[in-house]
Amino acid sequence: MPKVILRLGIVAMSRPPVTRWSGRVLRPVSAMIDLPPLEAGALMTDRDGVQTVYLGDHELALHSGETRHYIDNLTARQPSVWVAMDNDRIAVVTADPYEGEALASDPERMVEAVPMPTALAARLDTFIKEHHVEEVFHKRKRVPATSTDAPRAPRILQPEAKWVQTRGRSGRGPLGKG
Amino acid sequence: MSGLSKGKTEPASDSQNEQRAQHWGLLSSLLVAPPEKDLLAAIAGLHGDDTALGQAYRRLAKAAQTADPAAVKREFFELFIGVGRGELLPYASFYITGFLNERPLADLRRDLAVIGVERAQGRHEPEDHIASLAEIMAGLASGQFSADALGCGAAGEAGFFARHLQPWAPQFFDDLAVAPSANFFRHVAEIGSVFTDIEIRAFELARKQEGPASAAAAH
Repeated sequence: MPKVILRLGIVAMSRPPVTRWSGRVLRPVSAMIDLPPLEAGALMTDRDGVQTVYLGDHELALHSGETRHYIDNLTARQPSVWVAMDNDRIAVVTADPYEGEALASDPERMVEAVPMPTALAARLDTFIKEHHVEEVFHKRKRVPATSTDAPRAPRILQPEAKWVQTRGRSGRGPLGKG
Repeated sequence: MSGLSKGKTEPASDSQNEQRAQHWGLLSSLLVAPPEKDLLAAIAGLHGDDTALGQAYRRLAKAAQTADPAAVKREFFELFIGVGRGELLPYASFYITGFLNERPLADLRRDLAVIGVERAQGRHEPEDHIASLAEIMAGLASGQFSADALGCGAAGEAGFFARHLQPWAPQFFDDLAVAPSANFFRHVAEIGSVFTDIEIRAFELARKQEGPASAAAAH
């Protein structure tokens, strides 16, 4: 399964606490495909206590088997990148909306959907064009067991009846078919 | 050849039975698991005369000389294991009834219990696999097992062969010869086909002579 790894810079924001009992919370707000020359954790701006922090860069893996999910992401009203954080450190960055939703089910984690940069959307689009294999949903139905339906298994299984890997581009024919 | 002039064939000698046991043993070891490098090297050294069986052995030896063990292993996988199922189902029950684990397997298990043969621990294939039947035939031919206790017309190795191999083994070897992935195993199929044909005719001959049922003088 082909896989492409990109690196994204993540910017987070923290606001002054509304009450004195809560502390500052870092929330991811945007992602950049061009990495700035900043150290992870560098303070970018501080305006009236609203701080913008560069959290550092993190890998974003694109898997060829999940192109259908990326299409769903790109066709959404706002294409997003999901950033999951563990204690102010980036844990996972993904462009797969379903993986992002699954990450959000962990209450210990902060997961934010940040807008996808246009350059990344274009990169994702070329990845989908390269690797997407459309799978048609096939509803199986019972057939009545009459003698014409050949209930017996064939004595010699023919190559076209064999299971072959069709998902992704690495699917190849069975032995003897070249 | 004095037997022929009197219109009688002699019962198979011990050395002939020993050779039959080796034929069955080779078929069994080739069909139970993909042959390793050592077995392929041993097969590559086999010679054969100009009979049909000898020629088949010569072709197998020639194929074994150039065979790549990994390719033979892959071929074995495609033929007998596969994803979901292999190209062939080498079970007596499947060939006779069209389904696995049917009555032919039950009959075989009953006969094996009488003979005193059972599956080795850790083996999970049903007993009606072609390799285990070939192994039992090897045991019967060499005298390691005795099928005399079966009775009711099924006694002796002739009876065992007629009940459990003759109905389907020729068909199986024909199928193996034309299976889409068969390459090295096509030669194994040829040997199996020629050899089972000889066995069928030899047992038939021995039955007509009403001589000792262990005869297989055609070798």
